[in-house]
Amino acid sequence: MAVIPIYPGSSSFFPGDTPFGFYDQQIDFQTDADRVVTYCARRLGYPIMDVELQDLNFYTAFEEAVTTYGNELYAFKVRDNYLSIEGSLTSSNLNHELISPNFASVVRYTEQYGEEAGTGGNVTWYSGSLPLNPNQQTYDLKAWASSSASLIDGDSIEVKRVFFESPPAIVKFFDPYAGTGTGMMNMMDTFGWGNYSPAINFMLMPISFDLQKIQAIELNDQVRKSQFSFELINNNLRLFPIPRHGGSMQIQYIKMSERNSPISKTPSGSYVVTNVSNVNFSNPNYNEINSIGRSWVFDYTLAVCKEMLGYIRGKYTQVPIPGAETQLNQADLLSAATSEKEAQIARLREYFDETSRKALMERRADETNATLIELSAVPYPIYIG
Amino acid sequence: MALFGGARDISMFRGLNRELMGDIIVQECAVYKFKLEETNVNIYGEAAEEKYYEAPVLFNVLIDRQDQNYPDSDIGINFEWGISFKFLRDDLVDAEVVPQIGDIVWYENGYYEVDNIIANQQFVGKDPDYPNKDDRGINPLGNYDLQNFGYEVSIIAETIYVPADKVGISQERLITSIKDVRKR
Repeated sequence: MAVIPIYPGSSSFFPGDTPFGFYDQQIDFQTDADRVVTYCARRLGYPIMDVELQDLNFYTAFEEAVTTYGNELYAFKVRDNYLSIEGSLTSSNLNHELISPNFASVVRYTEQYGEEAGTGGNVTWYSGSLPLNPNQQTYDLKAWASSSASLIDGDSIEVKRVFFESPPAIVKFFDPYAGTGTGMMNMMDTFGWGNYSPAINFMLMPISFDLQKIQAIELNDQVRKSQFSFELINNNLRLFPIPRHGGSMQIQYIKMSERNSPISKTPSGSYVVTNVSNVNFSNPNYNEINSIGRSWVFDYTLAVCKEMLGYIRGKYTQVPIPGAETQLNQADLLSAATSEKEAQIARLREYFDETSRKALMERRADETNATLIELSAVPYPIYIG
Repeated sequence: MALFGGARDISMFRGLNRELMGDIIVQECAVYKFKLEETNVNIYGEAAEEKYYEAPVLFNVLIDRQDQNYPDSDIGINFEWGISFKFLRDDLVDAEVVPQIGDIVWYENGYYEVDNIIANQQFVGKDPDYPNKDDRGINPLGNYDLQNFGYEVSIIAETIYVPADKVGISQERLITSIKDVRKR
Protein backbone atom coordinates (compact mmCIF):
# COMPACT_ATOMS: atom_id res chain seq x y z
CA MET A 1 0.00 0.00 0.00
CA ALA A 2 1.89 3.00 -1.29
CA VAL A 3 1.56 6.05 0.92
CA ILE A 4 2.41 9.38 -0.66
CA PRO A 5 2.86 11.91 2.13
CA ILE A 6 1.16 15.28 2.02
CA TYR A 7 2.06 18.46 3.84
CA PRO A 8 2.55 17.47 7.49
CA GLY A 9 2.42 20.96 9.00
CA SER A 10 6.05 21.98 8.75
CA SER A 11 8.81 22.11 6.18
CA SER A 12 12.52 22.62 5.96
CA PHE A 13 13.99 24.14 2.84
CA PHE A 14 17.28 22.96 1.39
CA PRO A 15 18.97 24.28 -1.73
CA GLY A 16 17.91 22.06 -4.59
CA ASP A 17 14.31 21.80 -3.50
CA THR A 18 13.12 24.05 -6.33
CA PRO A 19 12.92 22.91 -9.96
CA PHE A 20 15.33 25.48 -11.39
CA GLY A 21 17.31 26.55 -8.35
CA PHE A 22 17.39 30.18 -9.46
CA TYR A 23 17.30 31.54 -5.93
CA ASP A 24 18.23 28.57 -3.78
CA GLN A 25 21.51 30.07 -2.63
CA GLN A 26 20.02 33.41 -1.65
CA ILE A 27 19.69 33.70 2.10
CA ASP A 28 16.40 35.59 2.15
CA PHE A 29 14.84 33.10 -0.25
CA GLN A 30 15.90 30.23 1.99
CA THR A 31 14.45 31.99 5.00
CA ASP A 32 11.20 32.96 3.35
CA ALA A 33 10.63 29.61 1.66
CA ASP A 34 9.36 27.84 4.76
CA ARG A 35 7.43 30.90 5.89
CA VAL A 36 5.70 30.99 2.54
CA VAL A 37 4.82 27.31 2.93
CA THR A 38 3.23 28.01 6.29
CA TYR A 39 1.40 31.05 4.93
CA CYS A 40 0.01 29.25 1.90
CA ALA A 41 -0.91 26.08 3.79
CA ARG A 42 -2.84 28.06 6.36
CA ARG A 43 -4.55 30.12 3.68
CA LEU A 44 -5.58 26.83 2.07
CA GLY A 45 -7.18 25.53 5.26
CA TYR A 46 -4.44 23.79 7.16
CA PRO A 47 -4.54 22.66 9.98
CA ILE A 48 -8.34 22.43 9.88
CA MET A 49 -8.19 20.68 6.53
CA ASP A 50 -5.57 18.59 4.82
CA VAL A 51 -3.74 20.20 1.93
CA GLU A 52 -2.78 17.62 -0.66
CA LEU A 53 0.51 19.29 -1.50
CA GLN A 54 4.07 18.63 -0.44
CA ASP A 55 6.66 21.18 0.56
CA LEU A 56 8.24 20.76 -2.89
CA ASN A 57 5.01 21.97 -4.47
CA PHE A 58 5.04 25.08 -2.30
CA TYR A 59 8.69 25.76 -3.10
CA THR A 60 7.95 25.36 -6.80
CA ALA A 61 5.15 27.90 -6.56
CA PHE A 62 7.40 30.26 -4.61
CA GLU A 63 10.13 30.06 -7.22
CA GLU A 64 7.60 30.59 -10.00
CA ALA A 65 6.22 33.65 -8.25
CA VAL A 66 9.65 35.23 -7.85
CA THR A 67 10.49 34.47 -11.47
CA THR A 68 7.18 35.87 -12.66
CA TYR A 69 7.80 39.01 -10.63
CA GLY A 70 11.22 39.39 -12.24
CA ASN A 71 9.83 38.71 -15.70
CA GLU A 72 7.17 41.35 -15.31
CA LEU A 73 9.63 43.81 -13.86
CA TYR A 74 12.25 43.44 -16.53
CA ALA A 75 9.74 43.12 -19.34
CA PHE A 76 8.47 46.49 -18.22
CA LYS A 77 12.02 47.85 -18.25
CA VAL A 78 12.50 46.51 -21.76
CA ARG A 79 9.22 48.07 -22.94
CA ASP A 80 10.14 51.38 -21.41
CA ASN A 81 13.67 51.51 -22.79
CA TYR A 82 13.81 49.33 -25.87
CA LEU A 83 14.54 52.23 -28.22
CA SER A 84 17.63 52.97 -26.20
CA ILE A 85 18.63 49.35 -25.65
CA GLU A 86 18.31 47.99 -29.19
CA GLY A 87 21.72 47.68 -30.76
CA SER A 88 23.59 47.78 -27.46
CA LEU A 89 25.94 45.00 -26.48
CA THR A 90 24.41 41.88 -24.97
CA SER A 91 27.41 41.35 -22.74
CA SER A 92 26.30 43.99 -20.27
CA ASN A 93 23.81 42.78 -17.67
CA LEU A 94 21.26 45.50 -17.16
CA ASN A 95 19.70 44.38 -13.89
CA HIS A 96 21.54 46.99 -11.89
CA GLU A 97 22.19 49.55 -14.60
CA LEU A 98 20.50 52.91 -14.76
CA ILE A 99 19.36 53.16 -18.35
CA SER A 100 19.74 56.51 -20.06
CA PRO A 101 17.73 57.29 -23.19
CA ASN A 102 19.76 57.73 -26.36
CA PHE A 103 19.21 58.49 -30.03
CA ALA A 104 20.86 55.39 -31.44
CA SER A 105 17.71 53.65 -32.61
CA VAL A 106 16.04 56.86 -33.74
CA VAL A 107 19.02 57.73 -35.90
CA ARG A 108 19.14 54.20 -37.27
CA TYR A 109 15.44 54.31 -38.06
CA THR A 110 15.83 57.62 -39.94
CA GLU A 111 18.97 56.82 -41.89
CA GLN A 112 16.79 55.74 -44.77
CA TYR A 113 15.73 59.32 -45.42
CA GLY A 114 19.30 60.47 -45.76
CA GLU A 115 19.95 57.42 -47.87
CA GLU A 116 17.33 58.44 -50.45
CA ALA A 117 18.43 62.05 -50.37
CA GLY A 118 22.01 61.04 -51.03
CA THR A 119 23.20 62.58 -47.80
CA GLY A 120 23.77 59.57 -45.58
CA GLY A 121 22.52 56.12 -44.82
CA ASN A 122 24.09 52.74 -45.14
CA VAL A 123 23.65 52.00 -48.84
CA THR A 124 26.79 52.46 -50.87
CA TRP A 125 26.73 54.66 -53.98
CA TYR A 126 28.92 53.00 -56.58
CA SER A 127 30.55 54.81 -59.50
CA GLY A 128 30.55 53.33 -62.96
CA SER A 129 31.96 54.27 -66.32
CA LEU A 130 29.56 53.90 -69.24
CA PRO A 131 31.25 53.70 -72.66
CA LEU A 132 29.70 56.08 -75.17
CA ASN A 133 29.60 55.21 -78.82
CA PRO A 134 29.53 57.79 -81.61
CA ASN A 135 25.97 58.62 -82.70
CA GLN A 136 24.36 56.21 -80.20
CA GLN A 137 21.70 57.96 -78.20
CA THR A 138 20.20 55.14 -76.07
CA TYR A 139 22.07 52.93 -73.66
CA ASP A 140 20.68 49.95 -71.73
CA LEU A 141 21.99 50.35 -68.21
CA LYS A 142 20.59 46.98 -67.13
CA ALA A 143 22.78 45.30 -69.68
CA TRP A 144 25.68 47.46 -68.60
CA ALA A 145 25.10 46.62 -64.93
CA SER A 146 24.90 42.91 -65.53
CA SER A 147 28.32 42.95 -67.08
CA SER A 148 30.03 45.71 -65.15
CA ALA A 149 28.41 46.20 -61.75
CA SER A 150 29.34 42.90 -60.05
CA LEU A 151 25.73 42.02 -59.32
CA ILE A 152 24.54 38.81 -57.76
CA ASP A 153 21.79 36.83 -59.45
CA GLY A 154 18.48 38.63 -59.39
CA ASP A 155 19.99 41.92 -58.36
CA SER A 156 19.67 45.18 -60.24
CA ILE A 157 20.81 48.76 -59.94
CA GLU A 158 19.16 52.08 -59.45
CA VAL A 159 20.95 55.00 -61.04
CA LYS A 160 21.25 57.87 -58.63
CA ARG A 161 23.26 60.33 -60.73
CA VAL A 162 24.28 60.76 -64.37
CA PHE A 163 27.22 62.97 -65.20
CA PHE A 164 26.07 64.19 -68.59
CA GLU A 165 26.08 67.97 -68.36
CA SER A 166 27.37 70.90 -70.27
CA PRO A 167 30.81 72.09 -69.21
CA PRO A 168 30.46 74.57 -66.36
CA ALA A 169 31.07 78.19 -67.12
CA ILE A 170 34.13 78.21 -64.92
CA VAL A 171 35.89 76.00 -67.47
CA LYS A 172 35.60 78.83 -69.98
CA PHE A 173 36.16 81.58 -67.49
CA PHE A 174 39.85 81.67 -68.26
CA ASP A 175 39.48 80.64 -71.89
CA PRO A 176 40.90 83.45 -74.00
CA TYR A 177 38.89 82.20 -76.93
CA ALA A 178 35.57 82.08 -75.16
CA GLY A 179 34.52 85.15 -76.96
CA THR A 180 32.34 86.49 -74.28
CA GLY A 181 32.92 90.03 -75.34
CA THR A 182 34.69 91.16 -72.22
CA GLY A 183 37.72 92.33 -74.18
CA MET A 184 40.05 90.88 -71.53
CA MET A 185 42.85 90.01 -73.94
CA ASN A 186 42.76 93.40 -75.56
CA MET A 187 42.98 94.98 -72.20
CA MET A 188 45.93 92.80 -71.17
CA ASP A 189 47.74 93.55 -74.41
CA THR A 190 47.20 97.20 -73.81
CA PHE A 191 48.97 96.95 -70.47
CA GLY A 192 51.84 94.98 -72.03
CA TRP A 193 50.99 91.63 -70.47
CA GLY A 194 49.90 89.93 -73.69
CA ASN A 195 52.77 87.49 -73.75
CA TYR A 196 51.91 85.86 -70.45
CA SER A 197 49.85 82.71 -70.13
CA PRO A 198 46.23 83.53 -70.84
CA ALA A 199 45.08 81.97 -67.51
CA ILE A 200 47.11 84.42 -65.51
CA ASN A 201 45.53 87.67 -64.82
CA PHE A 202 47.40 90.27 -62.88
CA MET A 203 44.57 92.70 -62.79
CA LEU A 204 42.58 92.80 -59.59
CA MET A 205 38.94 92.67 -60.57
CA PRO A 206 35.94 92.91 -58.25
CA ILE A 207 34.12 89.65 -57.53
CA SER A 208 30.96 91.07 -59.06
CA PHE A 209 32.81 91.22 -62.33
CA ASP A 210 33.67 87.51 -62.20
CA LEU A 211 30.09 86.55 -61.37
CA GLN A 212 28.65 88.60 -64.15
CA LYS A 213 31.12 87.09 -66.54
CA ILE A 214 30.16 83.54 -65.50
CA GLN A 215 26.51 84.36 -65.93
CA ALA A 216 27.24 85.76 -69.35
CA ILE A 217 29.01 82.57 -70.37
CA GLU A 218 26.11 80.41 -69.14
CA LEU A 219 23.52 82.56 -70.90
CA ASN A 220 25.57 82.44 -74.07
CA ASP A 221 25.69 78.62 -73.93
CA GLN A 222 21.99 78.35 -73.26
CA VAL A 223 21.09 80.51 -76.22
CA ARG A 224 23.59 79.35 -78.77
CA LYS A 225 24.38 75.73 -77.95
CA SER A 226 22.62 72.40 -77.63
CA GLN A 227 21.51 71.66 -74.08
CA PHE A 228 22.91 68.62 -72.29
CA SER A 229 20.11 66.49 -70.98
CA PHE A 230 18.98 62.88 -70.61
CA GLU A 231 16.00 60.68 -69.97
CA LEU A 232 16.23 57.68 -67.71
CA ILE A 233 13.26 55.35 -67.92
CA ASN A 234 13.44 51.76 -66.78
CA ASN A 235 17.21 52.01 -66.77
CA ASN A 236 17.26 52.96 -70.46
CA LEU A 237 19.39 56.07 -70.73
CA ARG A 238 18.67 58.45 -73.60
CA LEU A 239 21.17 61.27 -74.10
CA PHE A 240 20.68 64.73 -75.52
CA PRO A 241 22.51 65.81 -77.62
CA ILE A 242 23.50 62.61 -79.30
CA PRO A 243 27.19 62.00 -78.64
CA ARG A 244 29.16 62.51 -81.82
CA HIS A 245 32.37 61.11 -80.46
CA GLY A 246 33.28 58.06 -78.43
CA GLY A 247 34.31 58.26 -74.83
CA SER A 248 32.88 57.37 -71.47
CA MET A 249 30.42 58.83 -69.08
CA GLN A 250 30.33 58.48 -65.29
CA ILE A 251 27.25 57.37 -63.45
CA GLN A 252 26.52 56.68 -59.78
CA TYR A 253 24.22 53.90 -58.74
CA ILE A 254 23.16 51.72 -55.84
CA LYS A 255 22.55 48.00 -55.79
CA MET A 256 18.89 47.21 -55.13
CA SER A 257 19.82 44.20 -53.03
CA GLU A 258 21.66 46.46 -50.64
CA ARG A 259 18.81 48.91 -50.34
CA ASN A 260 16.27 46.12 -49.96
CA SER A 261 18.27 44.43 -47.25
CA PRO A 262 16.59 44.91 -43.85
CA ILE A 263 19.77 43.95 -42.03
CA SER A 264 21.39 46.84 -40.32
CA LYS A 265 25.05 47.28 -41.24
CA THR A 266 26.06 48.54 -37.83
CA PRO A 267 25.69 47.31 -35.21
CA SER A 268 24.92 43.74 -36.07
CA GLY A 269 25.78 40.22 -35.04
CA SER A 270 25.06 37.90 -32.16
CA TYR A 271 26.58 40.20 -29.58
CA VAL A 272 24.12 43.06 -29.90
CA VAL A 273 20.53 43.38 -28.75
CA THR A 274 18.33 42.71 -31.74
CA ASN A 275 15.05 41.85 -30.07
CA VAL A 276 13.45 41.72 -26.65
CA SER A 277 14.57 38.15 -26.10
CA ASN A 278 18.27 38.94 -25.93
CA VAL A 279 18.13 42.05 -23.81
CA ASN A 280 20.47 41.08 -21.02
CA PHE A 281 18.21 41.00 -18.00
CA SER A 282 18.54 38.03 -15.67
CA ASN A 283 16.40 36.71 -12.85
CA PRO A 284 16.14 39.09 -9.93
CA ASN A 285 18.09 38.72 -6.73
CA TYR A 286 15.48 37.83 -4.14
CA ASN A 287 17.55 39.46 -1.42
CA GLU A 288 17.05 42.79 -3.15
CA ILE A 289 13.30 42.60 -3.62
CA ASN A 290 11.65 45.01 -1.22
CA SER A 291 8.68 44.30 1.01
CA ILE A 292 6.23 45.57 -1.61
CA GLY A 293 7.58 43.10 -4.12
CA ARG A 294 7.74 40.25 -1.62
CA SER A 295 4.15 40.79 -0.61
CA TRP A 296 3.18 40.40 -4.24
CA VAL A 297 5.33 37.27 -4.48
CA PHE A 298 3.62 35.72 -1.45
CA ASP A 299 0.15 36.33 -2.84
CA TYR A 300 1.09 35.04 -6.26
CA THR A 301 2.61 31.94 -4.65
CA LEU A 302 -0.71 31.32 -2.95
CA ALA A 303 -2.54 31.61 -6.26
CA VAL A 304 -0.17 29.13 -7.87
CA CYS A 305 -0.64 26.74 -4.94
CA LYS A 306 -4.40 26.98 -5.36
CA GLU A 307 -3.99 26.16 -9.00
CA MET A 308 -1.84 23.13 -8.24
CA LEU A 309 -4.22 21.93 -5.57
CA GLY A 310 -7.12 22.44 -7.94
CA TYR A 311 -5.50 20.29 -10.58
CA ILE A 312 -4.68 17.62 -8.02
CA ARG A 313 -8.18 17.51 -6.65
CA GLY A 314 -9.61 17.73 -10.13
CA LYS A 315 -7.77 14.92 -11.83
CA TYR A 316 -10.84 12.79 -11.11
CA THR A 317 -14.16 14.58 -11.05
CA GLN A 318 -15.59 11.87 -8.83
CA VAL A 319 -13.60 10.61 -5.89
CA PRO A 320 -14.68 7.24 -4.51
CA ILE A 321 -15.73 6.99 -0.89
CA PRO A 322 -17.21 3.87 0.68
CA GLY A 323 -20.45 3.10 -1.07
CA ALA A 324 -20.58 6.36 -2.98
CA GLU A 325 -18.62 9.04 -4.77
CA THR A 326 -17.99 12.66 -3.93
CA GLN A 327 -16.73 15.79 -5.59
CA LEU A 328 -13.95 18.00 -4.29
CA ASN A 329 -13.59 21.76 -4.66
CA GLN A 330 -11.34 21.69 -7.68
CA ALA A 331 -13.62 23.99 -9.69
CA ASP A 332 -13.59 26.64 -7.00
CA LEU A 333 -9.85 26.36 -6.57
CA LEU A 334 -9.10 26.65 -10.26
CA SER A 335 -11.51 29.51 -10.74
CA ALA A 336 -10.10 31.40 -7.79
CA ALA A 337 -6.52 30.69 -8.82
CA THR A 338 -7.09 31.87 -12.38
CA SER A 339 -8.77 35.09 -11.38
CA GLU A 340 -6.25 35.79 -8.63
CA LYS A 341 -3.29 35.26 -10.93
CA GLU A 342 -4.79 37.53 -13.56
CA ALA A 343 -5.55 40.17 -10.96
CA GLN A 344 -2.06 39.96 -9.51
CA ILE A 345 -0.43 40.33 -12.91
CA ALA A 346 -2.73 43.20 -13.82
CA ARG A 347 -2.00 44.92 -10.52
CA LEU A 348 1.74 44.54 -11.00
CA ARG A 349 1.68 45.82 -14.58
CA GLU A 350 -0.40 48.80 -13.58
CA TYR A 351 2.02 49.54 -10.78
CA PHE A 352 5.00 49.33 -13.13
CA ASP A 353 3.30 51.35 -15.85
CA GLU A 354 2.69 54.12 -13.37
CA THR A 355 6.44 54.36 -12.96
CA SER A 356 7.23 54.44 -16.66
CA ARG A 357 9.24 57.37 -17.92
CA LYS A 358 6.25 58.71 -19.84
CA ALA A 359 3.91 58.40 -16.86
CA LEU A 360 6.40 59.99 -14.50
CA MET A 361 7.01 62.92 -16.83
CA GLU A 362 3.30 63.44 -17.28
CA ARG A 363 2.77 63.36 -13.56
CA ARG A 364 5.62 65.78 -13.07
CA ALA A 365 4.06 68.14 -15.60
CA ASP A 366 0.68 67.83 -13.92
CA GLU A 367 2.21 68.60 -10.57
CA THR A 368 3.99 71.60 -11.99
CA ASN A 369 0.81 72.93 -13.57
CA ALA A 370 -1.11 72.33 -10.38
CA THR A 371 1.55 74.12 -8.39
CA LEU A 372 1.46 77.09 -10.74
CA ILE A 373 -2.30 77.25 -10.50
CA GLU A 374 -2.12 77.15 -6.74
CA LEU A 375 0.59 79.80 -6.59
CA SER A 376 -1.42 82.03 -8.88
CA ALA A 377 -4.01 82.30 -6.14
CA VAL A 378 -1.47 83.95 -3.84
CA PRO A 379 -2.01 87.74 -3.86
CA TYR A 380 0.76 89.58 -5.65
CA PRO A 381 2.41 92.19 -3.45
CA ILE A 382 2.40 95.73 -4.72
CA TYR A 383 5.70 97.46 -4.43
CA ILE A 384 5.70 101.23 -4.27
CA GLY A 385 9.17 102.46 -4.93
CA MET B 1 -0.20 -0.30 -19.24
CA ALA B 2 -2.83 1.43 -17.25
CA LEU B 3 -2.66 5.19 -16.91
CA PHE B 4 -5.34 6.12 -14.41
CA GLY B 5 -5.81 4.95 -10.85
CA GLY B 6 -2.15 4.58 -10.00
CA ALA B 7 -0.67 4.27 -6.53
CA ARG B 8 -0.20 8.03 -6.11
CA ASP B 9 -3.80 8.71 -6.98
CA ILE B 10 -4.98 5.98 -4.66
CA SER B 11 -2.84 7.33 -1.86
CA MET B 12 -4.59 10.66 -2.23
CA PHE B 13 -7.99 8.99 -2.24
CA ARG B 14 -7.07 7.15 0.90
CA GLY B 15 -6.06 10.38 2.58
CA LEU B 16 -9.19 12.16 1.42
CA ASN B 17 -11.38 9.34 2.66
CA ARG B 18 -9.71 9.25 6.05
CA GLU B 19 -10.02 13.02 6.32
CA LEU B 20 -13.66 12.88 5.27
CA MET B 21 -14.56 9.97 7.54
CA GLY B 22 -12.28 10.79 10.45
CA ASP B 23 -12.26 14.59 10.59
CA ILE B 24 -15.40 15.79 8.85
CA ILE B 25 -18.24 13.24 9.09
CA VAL B 26 -16.92 11.18 12.01
CA GLN B 27 -19.33 8.29 12.35
CA GLU B 28 -17.95 5.39 14.33
CA CYS B 29 -18.73 1.79 15.09
CA ALA B 30 -16.88 -1.13 16.61
CA VAL B 31 -16.55 -4.57 15.14
CA TYR B 32 -16.61 -7.66 17.30
CA LYS B 33 -14.87 -10.28 15.23
CA PHE B 34 -16.28 -13.72 15.74
CA LYS B 35 -13.73 -16.19 17.15
CA LEU B 36 -14.67 -19.37 15.42
CA GLU B 37 -11.92 -21.47 16.91
CA GLU B 38 -13.08 -20.84 20.48
CA THR B 39 -16.76 -21.30 19.83
CA ASN B 40 -18.13 -24.81 20.17
CA VAL B 41 -20.63 -25.80 17.55
CA ASN B 42 -23.05 -28.69 17.42
CA ILE B 43 -23.63 -31.08 14.59
CA TYR B 44 -25.82 -28.50 12.89
CA GLY B 45 -23.07 -25.90 12.89
CA GLU B 46 -24.80 -23.89 15.57
CA ALA B 47 -23.08 -22.49 18.61
CA ALA B 48 -23.73 -25.05 21.25
CA GLU B 49 -22.74 -22.83 24.15
CA GLU B 50 -21.27 -19.34 24.30
CA LYS B 51 -19.99 -17.43 21.32
CA TYR B 52 -16.62 -15.79 21.58
CA TYR B 53 -15.51 -12.57 19.92
CA GLU B 54 -12.29 -10.62 19.52
CA ALA B 55 -12.00 -7.34 21.35
CA PRO B 56 -14.05 -4.58 19.67
CA VAL B 57 -12.11 -2.62 17.04
CA LEU B 58 -13.28 0.95 16.48
CA PHE B 59 -13.59 2.31 12.96
CA ASN B 60 -14.66 5.44 11.18
CA VAL B 61 -17.48 4.44 8.85
CA LEU B 62 -20.25 5.83 6.73
CA ILE B 63 -23.60 4.62 7.99
CA ASP B 64 -26.90 4.17 6.17
CA ARG B 65 -29.79 3.63 8.55
CA GLN B 66 -33.04 2.16 7.35
CA ASP B 67 -36.33 2.97 9.02
CA GLN B 68 -37.14 1.02 12.13
CA ASN B 69 -39.86 -1.61 11.80
CA TYR B 70 -42.14 -3.02 14.50
CA PRO B 71 -43.74 -6.07 12.93
CA ASP B 72 -46.41 -8.03 14.75
CA SER B 73 -45.91 -11.74 15.39
CA ASP B 74 -47.48 -14.54 17.41
CA ILE B 75 -45.26 -13.73 20.33
CA GLY B 76 -45.77 -10.01 20.26
CA ILE B 77 -44.25 -6.98 18.66
CA ASN B 78 -40.76 -7.25 17.30
CA PHE B 79 -38.19 -4.60 16.61
CA GLU B 80 -36.22 -4.58 13.35
CA TRP B 81 -33.62 -2.14 12.28
CA GLY B 82 -31.29 -2.66 9.37
CA ILE B 83 -28.11 -0.63 9.11
CA SER B 84 -25.36 -0.64 6.49
CA PHE B 85 -21.85 0.10 7.73
CA LYS B 86 -19.55 1.24 4.95
CA PHE B 87 -15.93 0.67 5.88
CA LEU B 88 -12.91 2.04 4.10
CA ARG B 89 -11.23 -1.19 3.16
CA ASP B 90 -7.76 0.23 3.87
CA ASP B 91 -8.79 0.84 7.49
CA LEU B 92 -9.82 -2.78 7.79
CA VAL B 93 -6.56 -3.92 6.26
CA ASP B 94 -4.53 -1.81 8.67
CA ALA B 95 -6.53 -3.15 11.62
CA GLU B 96 -6.37 -6.69 10.28
CA VAL B 97 -10.11 -7.06 10.49
CA VAL B 98 -12.06 -8.96 7.84
CA PRO B 99 -15.78 -8.45 8.39
CA GLN B 100 -17.72 -11.64 7.88
CA ILE B 101 -21.26 -12.78 8.26
CA GLY B 102 -21.90 -13.42 11.93
CA ASP B 103 -19.66 -10.67 13.24
CA ILE B 104 -21.23 -8.14 15.55
CA VAL B 105 -21.14 -4.37 15.04
CA TRP B 106 -21.55 -2.16 18.05
CA TYR B 107 -23.12 1.17 17.23
CA GLU B 108 -24.67 3.68 19.57
CA ASN B 109 -24.80 1.09 22.33
CA GLY B 110 -26.74 -1.31 20.13
CA TYR B 111 -25.57 -4.57 18.56
CA TYR B 112 -26.01 -5.45 14.95
CA GLU B 113 -25.20 -8.79 13.41
CA VAL B 114 -23.65 -8.84 9.99
CA ASP B 115 -25.87 -10.73 7.59
CA ASN B 116 -24.38 -9.64 4.28
CA ILE B 117 -21.04 -8.40 3.02
CA ILE B 118 -20.62 -6.37 -0.17
CA ALA B 119 -17.11 -5.87 -1.51
CA ASN B 120 -17.44 -4.79 -5.12
CA GLN B 121 -16.55 -1.10 -5.21
CA GLN B 122 -13.46 -0.92 -7.39
CA PHE B 123 -12.02 2.32 -8.66
CA VAL B 124 -11.34 2.21 -12.41
CA GLY B 125 -12.71 -1.32 -12.25
CA LYS B 126 -9.50 -2.90 -11.08
CA ASP B 127 -8.26 -4.61 -7.96
CA PRO B 128 -4.48 -4.31 -7.62
CA ASP B 129 -4.42 -7.72 -5.95
CA TYR B 130 -5.09 -9.31 -9.34
CA PRO B 131 -2.36 -8.27 -11.78
CA ASN B 132 -3.05 -11.37 -13.94
CA LYS B 133 0.51 -12.62 -14.16
CA ASP B 134 1.45 -16.11 -15.12
CA ASP B 135 3.90 -18.42 -13.42
CA ARG B 136 6.75 -16.50 -14.99
CA GLY B 137 5.46 -13.25 -13.53
CA ILE B 138 4.43 -11.99 -16.96
CA ASN B 139 1.15 -10.47 -18.04
CA PRO B 140 0.80 -11.69 -21.65
CA LEU B 141 -0.92 -8.45 -22.70
CA GLY B 142 2.09 -6.46 -21.57
CA ASN B 143 0.36 -4.84 -18.61
CA TYR B 144 3.27 -5.52 -16.35
CA ASP B 145 2.34 -3.20 -13.48
CA LEU B 146 -1.35 -3.80 -12.86
CA GLN B 147 -0.54 -4.43 -9.22
CA ASN B 148 -0.02 -0.66 -8.94
CA PHE B 149 -3.38 0.34 -10.41
CA GLY B 150 -6.93 0.18 -9.17
CA TYR B 151 -8.44 0.39 -5.76
CA GLU B 152 -10.75 -1.74 -3.70
CA VAL B 153 -12.49 1.11 -1.97
CA SER B 154 -14.88 -0.28 0.55
CA ILE B 155 -16.45 -3.18 2.35
CA ILE B 156 -20.08 -2.70 3.20
CA ALA B 157 -21.52 -4.73 6.08
CA GLU B 158 -25.29 -5.01 6.03
CA THR B 159 -26.57 -5.76 9.49
CA ILE B 160 -29.70 -6.38 11.47
CA TYR B 161 -30.33 -5.37 15.00
CA VAL B 162 -29.89 -8.01 17.68
CA PRO B 163 -30.79 -7.44 21.31
CA ALA B 164 -27.89 -7.17 23.68
CA ASP B 165 -29.04 -10.11 25.79
CA LYS B 166 -29.04 -12.33 22.76
CA VAL B 167 -25.42 -11.74 21.86
CA GLY B 168 -24.37 -11.69 25.49
CA ILE B 169 -21.52 -9.26 24.93
CA SER B 170 -20.29 -7.09 27.72
CA GLN B 171 -18.62 -3.93 26.60
CA GLU B 172 -14.86 -4.01 26.74
CA ARG B 173 -12.12 -1.55 26.16
CA LEU B 174 -12.20 -0.35 22.56
CA ILE B 175 -9.15 -0.87 20.45
CA THR B 176 -8.11 0.29 17.01
CA SER B 177 -6.39 -2.81 15.75
CA ILE B 178 -6.54 -6.48 16.44
CA LYS B 179 -2.91 -6.60 15.51
CA ASP B 180 -2.05 -4.49 18.56
CA VAL B 181 -3.97 -6.84 20.84
CA ARG B 182 -2.18 -9.83 19.49
CA LYS B 183 1.15 -8.18 20.06
CA ARG B 184 0.32 -7.81 23.70
